[in-house]
Amino acid sequence: MNTRLNRNKWEPYLWLLPSMLLIAVFVVFPILIVFKLSFSYISQGGVIGGFIGFQNYVDAVKLPAFKTVMLNTMWWVISVVGLSTLLGFIIAMVLNQKFRGRKIARSILVFPWATSLVIQASVWNYIIKYEYGNLNNVLLNLGIIQQAINWRSSYQIEFIWECAVGIFVTVPFVTFCVLSGLQSIDGSLYEAATMDGAGFWGKLRHVTLPMVRPSLTVSTVLNIIYVFNSFPIVYTMTKGAPAHKTDTMITYLYMLSFYERKKGPATALSVIGFLILCVCAGVYMIGVMRKEDEQ
Amino acid sequence: MRSPEMKSQNRRALLFLLLGLALALILMSLPLFSFEAQVYTKKSANTFVGDEKYVAAKAEAEAVAEEYRAQGFSVSLSEDVLERVNSKGKTTSLVTFTLSQSYGKNLFSLLGQGFAASKLTAALLLCLGLSAALAAAGLVGSGDLLPRYLDGRSRALRGAACVTALLALLLVPVILMMNTYAFSRQMGLHNAGLLEEGRALFFSRMDRLLFDGQMGENIEQVLSGLKYHCSGLAWLLLPAICIILLSAIQIRFGAIKGTLLRGLLYFFVVVVCLVTLYPYYVMLITAFRSNAETLDMYFLHMFPTKWIWSNLTDIVRRGVPRYLLNSLFVAGGATAIAMLCGIPAAYAMARMQFKGKKAFLGFVIMSQMFSPVVLLIGISQLMNTLHLNDSIVGLMLINAAFNQAFAVWLLRGTFVSISPEMEQAALIDGCGTMGALTRVLIPMAAPGIVTALIFVFINAWNEYTISTVLISTASNRPITVGITQFSSFNMIEWQYLFAASLLATIPVVILFMSIEKHLTAGLTSGGVKG
Amino acid sequence: MKKFLALLLALVMVVSLGSFGTVAYADDEITLDVIICQYGPNTNEWFLGKGMDGSNFVEKFEAANPGIKLNLDVVSWNDVYTEVDTRIANNNAPDILNIDVFANYANEGLLLPVKDYCPDDLFADFFPSFIDQSIIDDTCWAVPDLASARALFYNVDILNEVGVEVPTTWAELQDVSQAIIDYYDGEIYPWGIDMTTDEGQAAFAYYTWGNGGGFVDANGDWAVNSPENVEAINFAISLVNDGYTNPNPATQTRYDLQDMFAAGKLAMVIAPNQLPTYVADKGGEINMATAGIPANEGKTGSSVGVMDRVMAFKDESAPDQEARNEAIGKFLEFFYRPENYVGWVSMEGFLPAVNSAVEALVEADPSFGAWLDVLGSCQFYPAAKAEWAQVRQGVTTVEQEALIGGDIQAGLDALQAEVAG
Repeated sequence: MNTRLNRNKWEPYLWLLPSMLLIAVFVVFPILIVFKLSFSYISQGGVIGGFIGFQNYVDAVKLPAFKTVMLNTMWWVISVVGLSTLLGFIIAMVLNQKFRGRKIARSILVFPWATSLVIQASVWNYIIKYEYGNLNNVLLNLGIIQQAINWRSSYQIEFIWECAVGIFVTVPFVTFCVLSGLQSIDGSLYEAATMDGAGFWGKLRHVTLPMVRPSLTVSTVLNIIYVFNSFPIVYTMTKGAPAHKTDTMITYLYMLSFYERKKGPATALSVIGFLILCVCAGVYMIGVMRKEDEQ
Repeated sequence: MRSPEMKSQNRRALLFLLLGLALALILMSLPLFSFEAQVYTKKSANTFVGDEKYVAAKAEAEAVAEEYRAQGFSVSLSEDVLERVNSKGKTTSLVTFTLSQSYGKNLFSLLGQGFAASKLTAALLLCLGLSAALAAAGLVGSGDLLPRYLDGRSRALRGAACVTALLALLLVPVILMMNTYAFSRQMGLHNAGLLEEGRALFFSRMDRLLFDGQMGENIEQVLSGLKYHCSGLAWLLLPAICIILLSAIQIRFGAIKGTLLRGLLYFFVVVVCLVTLYPYYVMLITAFRSNAETLDMYFLHMFPTKWIWSNLTDIVRRGVPRYLLNSLFVAGGATAIAMLCGIPAAYAMARMQFKGKKAFLGFVIMSQMFSPVVLLIGISQLMNTLHLNDSIVGLMLINAAFNQAFAVWLLRGTFVSISPEMEQAALIDGCGTMGALTRVLIPMAAPGIVTALIFVFINAWNEYTISTVLISTASNRPITVGITQFSSFNMIEWQYLFAASLLATIPVVILFMSIEKHLTAGLTSGGVKG
Repeated sequence: MKKFLALLLALVMVVSLGSFGTVAYADDEITLDVIICQYGPNTNEWFLGKGMDGSNFVEKFEAANPGIKLNLDVVSWNDVYTEVDTRIANNNAPDILNIDVFANYANEGLLLPVKDYCPDDLFADFFPSFIDQSIIDDTCWAVPDLASARALFYNVDILNEVGVEVPTTWAELQDVSQAIIDYYDGEIYPWGIDMTTDEGQAAFAYYTWGNGGGFVDANGDWAVNSPENVEAINFAISLVNDGYTNPNPATQTRYDLQDMFAAGKLAMVIAPNQLPTYVADKGGEINMATAGIPANEGKTGSSVGVMDRVMAFKDESAPDQEARNEAIGKFLEFFYRPENYVGWVSMEGFLPAVNSAVEALVEADPSFGAWLDVLGSCQFYPAAKAEWAQVRQGVTTVEQEALIGGDIQAGLDALQAEVAG
């Protein structure tokens, strides 16, 4: 890594100061308040009382829906991040080919990224309504189906729909990250691989994957954080019904806080979620740092 | 270059083509479409087998059956009795009499009947015939040449054979869907009295198809119980035509694999684009529907019967432009602040050595890990203290802070990927660090900066939860909060919700598309360096 | 590129600077923070737009009461609890709030007693039975602002075609539903059920009150797990399982049911009195009639009334408590003036809470009279009990669990233990 002599050793910190201040005041301060709250009594209406130790955490873990919600969150994160990474990768590979209309295809693919999640969730909620949804309308009018289909006949299917919408909005981000990685690959690498007799899969494994891995890691880590914290899709489409079977952690703690009015456990739950994310990202950070040191 | 091998290969392909054609024609002449016409249905509630009402209803049904038989129809009469014991121990019963007759029709019988599918069937036949003829003509011209040495005329003929075969392939599902639509759905709608337009015409065509025009005035009554079923065999037409298409490709290109892969590529791209655009199509058409039509429970219209442009003026009257402007302020301000703070930090991270660098990076990422939803109380408390409650400036600062991590991360990557030599030259020339940054590095890192800019802008534009809680004055609402007024306690006004959503989406999409090419360039430099 | 970037940055700067203006208030003015819930498409227009004869409530109020400013926000029901609770947690509660619950705020000492600010003649104007619903320990903490009554609406044409009478008991309801299913081959849903997260408590009330059960026992103590309640919920779930209802009761909201009814796809539904207006708005031409909510054999059903309230929060930091209370009183006085209040209530088709509005409303729409009678015999939710918010969500969760095969008795037992203990 290139360096230059610093004029004095405080200079770097001066450059960091605005950014530090912004984050410290507007993000870290609220985080500290949440930590404090998680050890305080909070009334149903929201009045903050005194210190009660780990009581909120104990209550949170004891909640009847805790296990369901944790499992849901796991499935939600794994399926949305996993499948959108896979799909995004495939789409990026295709868009990296030269063909007519490539520019238009790329612009179209950007749409879901540029639309607010609240709006996306409302539209999909309208699309899959049984009685008047647009999906049934289109399929019937095209003659593909003969009878309207109940697209949300059980909560498992509703949860799958939610994951599908999650994937729909996440794919463009992954695609563009991977696409940027693909564009940086030198064509000569492929030629060399062809000379060595590598087929399609061989090239994919030995040239493409190693070269796009950095961009994939960036997009994956950011996606894990964003998807874990994603709120509007589940809230708009089912509100966790029936009985929290489609809730993820964020929507559950929202319902807990503002509908069931168990604000203490809700706060504790949010800290637990934070810790889980910290562990995941911490592992990643260590990995990245080590690699950078090697360079 | 002549070669006997090529010659025999081409002949074999032509043979396969004709085989496929024969198969397709055989399938088309099978009675794939079956109709069961319930020419008469009589439902009688609270009727018991043997009682007065039953006898009367049965006599009526039999009289009708006789009438039809006299006209030469071979109808069969069936009765269905549904008996239940209700909660009071009383037996109730529903008796249904049906007169029905079955018909099997093939694709050829559709020809000339005036349905949309009739014209398409004619087109299908034409395509199939043309494809075979063109391929044969192309072979006769220069049958034994390798595809790449073909003269222009043969090339064009053989190419046309491929295109017509592909067209035929695409026509098959369209025809089958058209049939389902016409015979199953449109009929249901006509019968329910939901489609008035073209009713008489449609019925007279059905009469001609099923009864050779004999039914006359009774047709409406007869068709009220028509059941349509398309045999699964019909889909075998697809592989049959595939054989034709593959043979044509073989004759034109010599090898199939490359062409198919190319076709697959386009197919994939088109499917992905269609799926992506689908919700926007829904937004668009729903935004211009009338209130009643948004809840079209009989799925009558794919497009608005009347495009209600006043939906747009309504949402304008209800404050949407003001909300859009607020969003623009918030997103623009947040972007500016995030950049002003983020660029120096990223610069220091990329170009300077100091203790705690890794700690800072960790700190930045940690700051992303709480969802704003769970920080509401803290943020609101902070804003109270700073007297930034209910202010657009407060929203700007919050959004800038929550997007610092991404901005710093991305910008750092961009800066690292640019060689520092230029700046060092500028420094030696007497520019300060500031000068080197603004005059040399920033212009060079423009793509990365644009990328970060877009990211922050979009995230701030789409933010919802914090704004809901912080903003309490109507004139300060950003668009995401503003559109909640269209889903209230009493009803959801889908048309306004989607019209406003569309307006909220368009500016971002335009911004995005105009900058798309910088975006990938920027991500490259940011992404690769982690 | 450089130029473009500079332009973009400049634009962003201008835009952000342009919005830095802040409003300063004069010292002698009192500003009241008011939060109103969004009832329908007209609420926002009426309070803030041009929905009140080309003007709006805030403008008119401020013109009539110089020295009092209103900072009024219309918030959607989805977000209102979030906003209010967050503000309470930060000691920044609104001065005046319009919402459905009040007991937890009152019990935590956040509310001002109504007598502190409400003018006596206005207080005497409220229906006494409504005021009773807002009293805890002999103190009234909130005043009703509107109500709606719920009854059974049925599609007369469908029932006539099938040849059945409107059901009055549960058994008849099952018979009629079966007959409709048989006749229409399941094309039309006989009965509408809404057990969504926002409305599950209503479903609980419809069935348990029709079986002699309910949220509370005769002494007013929680009794959510009574045998009558378990039987009632079992019955409701059996309707769903027998295929007599709309297919997805856990996610099909009241809007969906009303829309189906308006399209003639639903034969019977329990709905608020606004349903006819709603159906007309949606372009539906349904020949409908109302009847009592069916009850179990030998039990009497009860109409269900829903009431929302206006309440005032304490604010220790206000320099002049006396003046603040007076200002709140003036707000109420102005709001409940017949010329304003009648417009507000009738705009979304609600029923009034004060006597002085009745005459004008009945004059405008004779059908109001019948609904006012229904309202007189309504039962209301036990909203004055502190645990109401929990019970409301608790019964909804039990219902939703039952829909997917959960144990009703166990669920209600657990809820009872939680709230009564």
